[in-house]
Amino acid sequence: MKTTTKKIALAALGAAAAALALPFAAAAQNGLNYSIFDAFGGNQEAQKYSTADQITPANVKNLKKAWEIHTGDVDSGAKSTTWGATPLFVNNTVYVGTPKFRIFAVEPDTGKTKWVYDAKGDMTPENQGFKNRGVAYWQAAAPAAGRCQKIVYLGTVSGLLHAVDANDGKRCTGFGKNGVVDVNQWSTVNHKFKLGLPQPPAVYKDTLILGWAGLDWVYKTENPGTVFGIDARTGALKWQFDIIPKHLENQTGTANVWASMSVDTKTGLVFVPTSSPSPNYYGGDRKEEMPYATATVALNAETGQVVWSRQLIHHDIWDLDINSAPTLVDIKKDGQVIPALVQATKQGFLFVLNRNTGEPVYPIEERPYPASDVPGEVAAKTQPYVPLPEPTVADTTPPVSKLADLASFGECSRWKARLRDEGRFTPPSVRGSIAYPATVGGVEWGGGALDPTTNTYVVNSDSVVQVYTLIPRGEADKILQGKLRAAGGISSQEGSPYAFKLENFLNMWGMPCWEPPYGTLSSYDLDTGKLNWKKPFGQVQKWGFYMPESWGSVTIGAPVITKSGLVFIGASMDSRVRAIDLKTGDVLWKHIVHAPAVAQPVTYMYKGKQYVVFAAGGNGILTPRLSDQLVAFALPN
Amino acid sequence: MTQRHSTRGASLIVLASLITIGICVYDYYTPETGLIGAGGVLLVAGAAVLMLLAALAMKFMPHRGRCVQLFLIVSILLDIIGSSVAGYFLESPVIMAAQALALLGWLINVIGDATARSIEEDEVEDHD
Repeated sequence: MKTTTKKIALAALGAAAAALALPFAAAAQNGLNYSIFDAFGGNQEAQKYSTADQITPANVKNLKKAWEIHTGDVDSGAKSTTWGATPLFVNNTVYVGTPKFRIFAVEPDTGKTKWVYDAKGDMTPENQGFKNRGVAYWQAAAPAAGRCQKIVYLGTVSGLLHAVDANDGKRCTGFGKNGVVDVNQWSTVNHKFKLGLPQPPAVYKDTLILGWAGLDWVYKTENPGTVFGIDARTGALKWQFDIIPKHLENQTGTANVWASMSVDTKTGLVFVPTSSPSPNYYGGDRKEEMPYATATVALNAETGQVVWSRQLIHHDIWDLDINSAPTLVDIKKDGQVIPALVQATKQGFLFVLNRNTGEPVYPIEERPYPASDVPGEVAAKTQPYVPLPEPTVADTTPPVSKLADLASFGECSRWKARLRDEGRFTPPSVRGSIAYPATVGGVEWGGGALDPTTNTYVVNSDSVVQVYTLIPRGEADKILQGKLRAAGGISSQEGSPYAFKLENFLNMWGMPCWEPPYGTLSSYDLDTGKLNWKKPFGQVQKWGFYMPESWGSVTIGAPVITKSGLVFIGASMDSRVRAIDLKTGDVLWKHIVHAPAVAQPVTYMYKGKQYVVFAAGGNGILTPRLSDQLVAFALPN
Repeated sequence: MTQRHSTRGASLIVLASLITIGICVYDYYTPETGLIGAGGVLLVAGAAVLMLLAALAMKFMPHRGRCVQLFLIVSILLDIIGSSVAGYFLESPVIMAAQALALLGWLINVIGDATARSIEEDEVEDHD
């Protein structure tokens, strides 16, 4: 009897241990640490996953505000701020950058400020506004005595990268010149603007991999896109990757990397999403092959050498930049584990590629698309199309909204009848073309989140119709009168035969002329490529009025998945943050914050309690509501 | 020609208007409401001010013409309907509850007035 009881007890213990260990084992199989968030994408693999599991689908309704701080770095009007910073949780601290170039280090459980670093004298952003998407974190593999063994990096939109000791918030003077590297020193060709660094660099061992933001709709020839590999300790340039071929530098520029990148920390490959060459919307002067533009490129993170590349848009004339870090995933398919990545795009495609070779895991088709009718322009005859996983955005333009059309006395349908609309990849035209999906996306720069235990991938996506109109130079010069931009969304594309007008397809009242939903949240099983669920996400809010939930909302930001089966996401126009059931897509909790939380949140366990932190900064693309609120939620004691 | 109309229910409408104005001011200036700086809140507040004036007229001007009475009754009802719809889309349960209170006041007033009219007519008939 005693033995039987013991056996039962042992078996129960074993079962309990196995039950407890299983999820950990699954998460730990890949050897990654999901208890910290040390990069823009959660980790360098851009997976946005946390093992924190105190908050569950059953108790999330009890979530309450635990603390909040206001950085003071918010402004509207001419100095309008754009704050989409992912907070980091690492070194037992929450770090966040601000759009006025400060770093806040705060206590994870109280929000009490540990230190603030101010990049003083760096308030001269040229045309790129006051923006920040966060900070980067590096720590020495074998820390030595003294300072700067753990460093937080903050970029400014004038191209200055600041390195600050993670413990005391003081500059690391051994980095660059007194703790600051000016990346403009390496921009030696067609230097039309200072390189913007709103996006924190990726980190691999002792190398920072740094892209930059520019103005690719203003000039024909301008700063050619480059990625820099720099020493994390000294700021010295290790390598440079040029995206534009040298012989084309007098015809074009940019194709830069303004979005985040991801790193396979085991193989040392960095995955680089590149943007379109300049000028964005007319390619008649840059018809040559540029295989690294609008592509995902895998580089050796130590040397900058290209390992493979795959162009995802040929001859981009729609500003369909590859705009988010690919998420790394080990796909289980046909009894094999395939080291893969999923690259979400503005077109709503999810390119699933073998991350060691760039070969497609799910087929990519080259499909024919319409020709351009603009003199001098030659649109690519075919474009890559991804049938599986199902695109987040439909192939055809949504029908004209009856409500918006009625409210505007037929303006929407009359306007649409004047435009060229042949579905995806309708080239820009002088009479005006419908662009769907347009430059707004599709999927924006946050990208998606992955549950590595099930390979469930969750991503938010927009459904926005825009109108692309090319304006012949003579006519454009009259409108622009020497300026690079004019009201009504007109950009010069100086040096090319056409200026460009970008409009949202809205009626006289500002109502979208197309049918909702305007934004969705989707879940995919990446092992099969199948869609689990897709739902309208968020709510449009105009003048305070909330539109029906079935309309969804345009979103900027990204989700985070937790081990307990929750998705946390802000992103929507209605300034609400939400917890979603990973299995069903149902909203289980929502809370109003001070502005749309246009960054991915961070969640972590600290001193026995789980916190979810959102930076509610807002973005003028969504609504004029901006804020400086960093807010944490937790379950009550 | 003026005649005495019911003032009953007017106090409830006044109270509902004041609640609506109060919550609108709070919503307009409080970030946690999600309605900070929202034009829709100003619209409801404006409507509440008009409702307040109409309700005060109803309460303190019992002797009024039939047209004035009709105007007050119809405009307050439209105000209640409009503010209720706005409250629904603003997702403000307080505004909607205040409109329910105003509607109650409106019903009391309309019924009270109809009852008073009926009694007056009966009295006239009795005198006949």
